[in-house]
Amino acid sequence: MALAYNWQIGRSMSYWYPENRPKRQFAAVFDINKCIACQTCTLACKTTWTSGKGQEYMLWNNVESKPFGCYPLAWDLNLLQQLGAQQWRGKEYAGRTIFEAAEAGERVLGWRPADLDYAYPNVGEDDCTGRVDRGAALRAPHLNWFFYLARICNHCTYPACLASCPRGSIYKRPEDGIVLVDQSRCRGYRECVKACPYKKVFYNALTGTSEKCIACFPKIEQGLQPQCFVNCIGKIRLAGWLSPPERARADNPLDYLVHIRKVALPLLPQLGLEPNVYYIPPVHAPDEFLSQLFGPGVPAAICTYRKGPDDPDLAGLLGLFGSTDRVVPRWRREDDWVAALDEDGSQIVRVPLKEPVYIREAFDAQHQVTRTNCP
Amino acid sequence: MRRRLKSAVVAVPVAFVLASGCQKAAPPPPLASVVVASCAAIPAAPGDPAWDAVPEYVAVLIAQDLVEPRLLRLSTPEIRVRAVSDGSRMAFRLAWTDDTRDDLPGPAEFVDACAVQMPRVIEATVPAPQMGETGRPVDIVFWNAAWQATVDGRGDSIRDIHPYAAVDHYPFEAASLQPGSAPQQEMATRYAPARAVGNTMAGPRQSPVQDLSAEGPGTLSPVPDGHSTGAGRRTEAGWSVVIVRDLPQALTSQGDSQVAFAVWEGGHEEVGARKMRTAWIPLKLEVKP
Repeated sequence: MALAYNWQIGRSMSYWYPENRPKRQFAAVFDINKCIACQTCTLACKTTWTSGKGQEYMLWNNVESKPFGCYPLAWDLNLLQQLGAQQWRGKEYAGRTIFEAAEAGERVLGWRPADLDYAYPNVGEDDCTGRVDRGAALRAPHLNWFFYLARICNHCTYPACLASCPRGSIYKRPEDGIVLVDQSRCRGYRECVKACPYKKVFYNALTGTSEKCIACFPKIEQGLQPQCFVNCIGKIRLAGWLSPPERARADNPLDYLVHIRKVALPLLPQLGLEPNVYYIPPVHAPDEFLSQLFGPGVPAAICTYRKGPDDPDLAGLLGLFGSTDRVVPRWRREDDWVAALDEDGSQIVRVPLKEPVYIREAFDAQHQVTRTNCP
Repeated sequence: MRRRLKSAVVAVPVAFVLASGCQKAAPPPPLASVVVASCAAIPAAPGDPAWDAVPEYVAVLIAQDLVEPRLLRLSTPEIRVRAVSDGSRMAFRLAWTDDTRDDLPGPAEFVDACAVQMPRVIEATVPAPQMGETGRPVDIVFWNAAWQATVDGRGDSIRDIHPYAAVDHYPFEAASLQPGSAPQQEMATRYAPARAVGNTMAGPRQSPVQDLSAEGPGTLSPVPDGHSTGAGRRTEAGWSVVIVRDLPQALTSQGDSQVAFAVWEGGHEEVGARKMRTAWIPLKLEVKP
């Protein structure tokens, strides 16, 4: 084990390999408040990458309803229970990561789902506690709420899958930080399936190898956002490059949201992987639950987000989500317009801070017909 | 009380005499090495009666607990080994006890397996028994029960694993594609990534064994031109597997080497480094050159 600095938990931690950050890190921000769980992202990924034999059960992208939804079953609860109660001391995590809590003979604390755990991708969908008065029997010790959590591989800075592979078949690309399983080298031991806390590595029983989200790297290499991003009809996602906090730039949209405004937070940062998909937490769910999922930054993130309507920079940047199929490395606001920019400052797309509203009269007096909105 | 004691005193010598008279022939002393018996033709099937005449070595299995991930829960205690050679090839028949037949792959299903390991170079000192070491490779022949089932006729589809699985559509089985045609096959391969990049783990499988080499833990690599063969059979007690490989030329000239074995019990989720293994065991040709 080596010592590696993990800024998400505010301290150094034990990891199987020394710290070795890529030249730049693929990262994403998902605005949970805008997700409607239409699963278009899930299908976009499924039809692009996992239509083969042995991949039938795989969802490299899935959307689950929290608090009860989970794919595979109890992916989060099982590990949190295994890890036991841990504490944050302010912004520093005082508990043990899954690398530090590894049992004897293991590299990582983990568990492996049973085959049937993958059989219920819609479990808990749209379940909340709000219909008790209408006959729902479900009772839970919290308020009536739910939200949708879209999940892909987090392309972690300290991937547990990579640390656990005894063959070195998993690698993190130095050029973009995307984590891949080398399909020519994998022998299907499934240590990675056991180790990944997000359960985003899947075993293909018909090829005998494990497979995972590849962040659509053939698109990334062309400067394009992945399939699950560009097909998102809720426009909740933005892909880009995230700097380490000490090199954060205000004109980098990912840096701005994650490091400067701190409105987007990592998923289960206490596990120690430094995941690179960041979530703007839902404004309507209890802090206690959200803090377990996204760490101690939740209350401040929600507070900042709620002030969005009076915050033209934040609101403007959020307006860039879903406005282009290109990866957005830079951005700039000019009065009531926000521009997505390329590395060299050239404009990719420009959107208004507020979409103009046009109202047509229901009756077209010129043609003497009633207008309809049917296509 | 006294009468009972007297009877006991008399009974003891009688019992001794009876036992001596009925005593079976003493079992042969345990072999100190795996002896490779000479044969005219390699008995390729595990149940071939020719194996009955071959001396058996019983190898104690120990847990692989030196490198992570380690096996900390003991399973298969021993493996029974017989070996023969026809002068150009050599065969091992490995038999072990296993209560469960684990030959069905699945995301959380592991399959029974075994392997034979020999140093590539025969010299006075052997490489590390754990997969060799840098610059001192070992050759391994690996068998597993899922590959055996495929070779024995089990199909290569999700319904062969889960008979009631429902699949809407595979793009490479679209009506517009002629089944078995080159474009259809090319497209099907593209949807099996490991197969598309030539990973021999991924099939299509024609043999239940794979030739491998290693120079230390984590370095296992397929041997591209490997041509070992094998056959496994489920027995009442467990598995019986024959592995046939080339007879190393150096062994022909020197007459002895070392060999090691490993067994994976799928029911215990043993896979990769999580295995029961032997140390190096002396290997001797029955007829020395």
